[in-house]
Amino acid sequence: MPGQLYKSAAIVGAAEANNIGFLDEPVTALQLHIEAIKNVCDQTGIPINRIEGVFSTGWSPELCEHLGITPKYIDTTAVGGSSFELHVHHAMAAIHAGIIDVALITHGENGHSARKIGGRGPSNYGMGGGGVTAPGTEMTMAYGLGGAPSNYAHTMVRHMHRYGTTSEDYAHIAKVSRDWATLNPRAAMYSKEKHPFGGPITVEQVQDSRLIAWPLTILHCCMVADHGGAVLVTSPKVAASLNTKPVWIAGAGESMAHWNMLEMDDFTATSAATSAQTAYSMAGMGPADMEMALVYDSFTITAAITAEMLGLAKRGEGHLLWKDGRAAPGGSFPINTNGGGLSFNHSGMYGMPLLIEAYRQLSGTAEDGVNGDKGKQTSARTCVVNGTGGTLSTTGTLVLVADDD
Amino acid sequence: MAYELPIPTQGTHTRPFWEGTKAGKLMLPRCEDCNRTHWYPRYICPHCQSMNLGWMEASGEGFIHTYAVQHLVFGKWAKEAPYVTAYIDLKEGDRMLTVLRGVDPLSPEDIKIGAPVRVEFEVASEDTHIPFWRVVEV
Repeated sequence: MPGQLYKSAAIVGAAEANNIGFLDEPVTALQLHIEAIKNVCDQTGIPINRIEGVFSTGWSPELCEHLGITPKYIDTTAVGGSSFELHVHHAMAAIHAGIIDVALITHGENGHSARKIGGRGPSNYGMGGGGVTAPGTEMTMAYGLGGAPSNYAHTMVRHMHRYGTTSEDYAHIAKVSRDWATLNPRAAMYSKEKHPFGGPITVEQVQDSRLIAWPLTILHCCMVADHGGAVLVTSPKVAASLNTKPVWIAGAGESMAHWNMLEMDDFTATSAATSAQTAYSMAGMGPADMEMALVYDSFTITAAITAEMLGLAKRGEGHLLWKDGRAAPGGSFPINTNGGGLSFNHSGMYGMPLLIEAYRQLSGTAEDGVNGDKGKQTSARTCVVNGTGGTLSTTGTLVLVADDD
Repeated sequence: MAYELPIPTQGTHTRPFWEGTKAGKLMLPRCEDCNRTHWYPRYICPHCQSMNLGWMEASGEGFIHTYAVQHLVFGKWAKEAPYVTAYIDLKEGDRMLTVLRGVDPLSPEDIKIGAPVRVEFEVASEDTHIPFWRVVEV
């Protein structure tokens, strides 16, 4: 029995900035936002000045001013890479409540270009609002942790200890994600021509690549590139007036367990178990009803744990989805069909590419490959999407279904 | 020799912890109402939401919960790489982060989750003695 918000809103369009990936010509995060917004409005035929709600990780006031619009609903939820799945949840609630009919969810982050021109912008992930004066920071800053890999490595070791898995088990996730990327011309690691380290990889290559934080080698880690993307979420009435296909939001949920990894009770679990339960319940569906999944793969271990939390695999067996080939191109349960944060694109926060790929798959507009290659379009009609933010901290889960036509 | 690694910025409510480290004691925040300890130090008890908080001396003993070996490191810790970081389960039930001592970062498989560890304090500055955990020789 679906919940009250079941299909009360739809994603009606999804677009990216004109250029994404490891861009030679540096771009700003704002430019990535604006290009994506322009593109999604062109795609759907919804004029920019008809946007009523703006959802972003802290950018909304600047974006509204830049676009010259006066919104009725402003949301700046910034809880890490999962923020965009939470934005969909929030937009759905605002639409259901009758406050707005057209919501823009937008992302721009120049993770790669920032090395040349600076400026990640107000994305606010990583440390809590307290910064260096937060007691959680005070009690961890002495101990040599740096970027995300330095922390996430601890979760893989605990997972290995608890379930007898090996880092090689997770390496299959990196390999399969790369296989998907080779079907996607927009993926940063699509080919050797596109990136020196692009093209197909083997499990052995994943294991033999540069050690970052044992047991994580660099190919167990997502990239940091440039990405901008935007989706429009509307009421059913507006969706019916458009030429683009709606992808229905059947269920949505969000949760968090900890913010600082010090407070992570179980290093082999995330709050996705909770957010997924909320989303499945709203949809009146369960894991067995899902035909594909898009999960945040900041690291191979993130994807494995998330698959377990979403009920797609038993605890300790998430990696088998990839190792057995079920998640791979041609497999029975496609996962991360764009190539994931591991091989498609990850700019720092990956929640937006999840939404865009979900829209493309379920609207039948996933890219078709080039030069006669088989493309990445699957036949899936249902998809569970899960964003993970912070240090396996915050989660947003969506159950999306294709339109009945 | 001067301590060249990052030194924590002390907060406004953690003075008893840092005073403790100077006396060789590991102090934990404890709620005077529900008697439970927590870590990191809060302004409010995360278990019962009381603001009636005090401190107690911990045993200084614990076990390895999980660990990793840091190879690619930026900043002040870079010259120490590779080194082992670990989350420690205190006997009292809370969890602390440390750079783990008494282990070989080049043989990570030899480090045992659950192995006993003991706290020690390094003088980083006159005001700040930093707790680190070391694997106990069995």
